[in-house]
Amino acid sequence: MTVVIGFEGSANKIGIGIIRDGEVLSNPRRTYITPPGQGFLPSDTARHHRAVILTVLKEALEQAGLKPADIDCVAYTKGPGMGAPLVTVALVARTVSQLWGKPLLGVNHCIGHIEMGRLITKANNPTVLYVSGGNTQVIAYSERRYRIFGETIDIAVGNCLDRFARVIKISNDPSPGYNIEQMAKKGSQYVELPYTVKGMDVSFSGILSYIEETLFSMLVEITERAMAHCGSQEVLIVGGVGCNLRLQEMMGVMCKERGAKLFATDERFCIDNGAMIAQAGWEMFRSGQVTELKDSWITQRYRTDEVEVTWRD
Amino acid sequence: MAAAGEANGGTGKLESSLDVPFPSSREATIALRSLSPDKEPRKGGISKLITVSGSTLSRWSADEARILRVSVNSFLDHLSLVLETMEMFGPPVAV
Repeated sequence: MTVVIGFEGSANKIGIGIIRDGEVLSNPRRTYITPPGQGFLPSDTARHHRAVILTVLKEALEQAGLKPADIDCVAYTKGPGMGAPLVTVALVARTVSQLWGKPLLGVNHCIGHIEMGRLITKANNPTVLYVSGGNTQVIAYSERRYRIFGETIDIAVGNCLDRFARVIKISNDPSPGYNIEQMAKKGSQYVELPYTVKGMDVSFSGILSYIEETLFSMLVEITERAMAHCGSQEVLIVGGVGCNLRLQEMMGVMCKERGAKLFATDERFCIDNGAMIAQAGWEMFRSGQVTELKDSWITQRYRTDEVEVTWRD
Repeated sequence: MAAAGEANGGTGKLESSLDVPFPSSREATIALRSLSPDKEPRKGGISKLITVSGSTLSRWSADEARILRVSVNSFLDHLSLVLETMEMFGPPVAV
């Protein structure tokens, strides 16, 4: 029996989760939400995480009904992400790892998403579409690496949606992407141009429907291309943007055409959370990996394919 | 905690030092190992050295007062988080 606690705070969510052999015992999370029209900056985000992290840690232990002695390993997000928030979380992880006398494991955030997706959906060996505010990658596993087949050459798809939401001052509560999706549902017209002169509601929906349809079509295309290269019959969508039902719908259509299966998780697990770091940590720990304290520095850049995937063959 | 800042006439660099007392050298070492892995965000113009001898001592030198201030401020924020964590989840288990 192996129990791993995972700490995640690379963007505006701070989450701490505990996993015991594939069972999520607790997964509390807080989100730093900025007023409409504003994004979140590193120092403010770090301050938010700093203020709540110890409370969330207590919650994670209490909800799981565990004491520190019951934990086998402390996993935390090494990167990628925003520097100041990453440091805040790493400090607490390093400190409790030493206080409790448990080994430490630095986890790649993207791999956290992948391993959680695999655990929850039981997909066997899927082509992965990882889409969030900070990342957009198409990933396939091959010979001990999560290979990046395709990615954004500039900004992540979630970042595009978030920036658009800022421009038109959509609320960031619970997330800008969620609110875009709700408004886009009311749209029935696909509009060629991003601008349309109609009543407020219709023009919002029109613009947002256009945004979603175009962005998501692009993602479906590159995922399909990766599947063709790998001869894959499974797709797994992870990352916050993966919550979007329209994206899942469009991907589902492509999968059906190819006779492939589509896997996705709900908002508990596709949005950044602590348990996903714990799950990746569980896999890494069981395959013999450990992070020495002197090597536990955080890093804003950390490519998914830099990690040796020792737990798969 | 004693803090001192002075201009080092010899090198022209600004220096600052902090002496942070801990209940035991074990706890001072825990703090040191939590605080030292991350590199300074700023590439140049700042050098920070943290050592332990009974208590935790940090010593900085920087080219400009502004750079020194930012680094010391960050360190104090991080130190206070580590201390709060140790208070809430300590004392360290017997080795």
